[in-house]
Amino acid sequence: MFSRTVLSSCKRAPQAHEVAQVDAALSKKTARPKVHTGIILNRSPIITRTPTAFEKAYYAYQTRIHRALHNPFPYDFYFKQGSPLESRFNIEERRRERKAEAEKLAEATMRDEEEAMPRVHEADINSDFKNLNRRGQRNLYLLLQKQENGTAVWKFPQGIVDRGELLHHAATRGLEVECGNNMDTWIVSRNPIGVFHPPSPASTGGAEEDVVFFYKAHIMAGQVRPNRTHTQDFAWLTKGEIKTRVDEDYWLGIKDILSDF
Amino acid sequence: MSVSVLKLNGLPFQLRGLGARLYSTRKGEVSSSDPQKDIIRRHLYPPNIRNKASPTGTWRPDVARALQRAIPSVQAHETIERAWLLHQRHLRKKRDAELQRKFNCMRQAMQELEEIDSRLFREANKQEDPRARSLAEVEAMKSMSEPEKRAVESRVRGLFPRELRIPTDTPPKNGWPNEWRAFQRPLA
Repeated sequence: MFSRTVLSSCKRAPQAHEVAQVDAALSKKTARPKVHTGIILNRSPIITRTPTAFEKAYYAYQTRIHRALHNPFPYDFYFKQGSPLESRFNIEERRRERKAEAEKLAEATMRDEEEAMPRVHEADINSDFKNLNRRGQRNLYLLLQKQENGTAVWKFPQGIVDRGELLHHAATRGLEVECGNNMDTWIVSRNPIGVFHPPSPASTGGAEEDVVFFYKAHIMAGQVRPNRTHTQDFAWLTKGEIKTRVDEDYWLGIKDILSDF
Repeated sequence: MSVSVLKLNGLPFQLRGLGARLYSTRKGEVSSSDPQKDIIRRHLYPPNIRNKASPTGTWRPDVARALQRAIPSVQAHETIERAWLLHQRHLRKKRDAELQRKFNCMRQAMQELEEIDSRLFREANKQEDPRARSLAEVEAMKSMSEPEKRAVESRVRGLFPRELRIPTDTPPKNGWPNEWRAFQRPLA
């Protein structure tokens, strides 16, 4: 209305599309999208990756070559000739040579370790998604199950940014509100690592836009204690498992931010 | 005395280490007073006679024969090497592509932030000074116990925290530390 009275005072008669443009310009200036921060809480891998069959074979091959090429061992420097220590060393050395030739060196060294924990945890066998010991080789990300318009959706923890608050402060606050502060977390930097525009309901037509800035954080100790009012459930998932649980447009927004392995 | 020293400098390298022995014995006598010293000397300065491979690797006649036993053939070895380098190249390309995707996401996020709010954008781009302490931190540190103060000081802004664990071959004996005392870190 205001724009029409302004334009009517001009000499030229107002065109319909000009009026519409001025209306749009005024509404763009006033409507700033509501800013939210999401946190991608990552548990880094605990154990090293299992080498593939090709890698194992290559390492065994290289071990054989190194054994063939290495400088001769100065036996009489380290062992007194004829001593029992020397004979024990010779026995062990012959055993090692045989094992190297049979190409079972890698598994043998693993078995020789005294009382080492197994690489597969019981959480993997039981598919306990809340346990932080599962999938030691992979990167795990925290997902929360929330109620949105009656349906249950899986999302990263999220919170609104207050007026005058900085984004990374809002991220720490949001994480504490949604997941409790029983975790040793570290937000990596002041910069967001990704942005997501949730699809706004069609009725408002762009007036109330939401935008979510994602921040990366690492968890080093502790466990999630979800806030029961906001969230129903939580899970620590790998990238592939996230794809199966999350909505399709959410997945398209976040898939490039996450680590593949 | 000085004459014999000068003579030693003219000798080949291997025999210089035996200088002390030569100096202290009569001609033709081999000293066996300390066999350990002899062994050390023999290994540090291998004799020049070429009849046996030495630990320091000065003469290795057995290498070709040993290599013949270790590898199937020259062509097979080269094929294996090329396969390995190709495998490494694949891994490298995958890693680089993933990093590129992540970086593009970051760039997109910063572009949109700049459009939405210039103040938030400026604050997000600020360089972290590791030695600076924010007002909130200084205020909070005044009323903290010693261990809590140490916990705050140990987290240096802009550096990785010490508690980030490097992956090992087997998991820790006690598993993931689920119990952690809740500690409110002051806002940086």
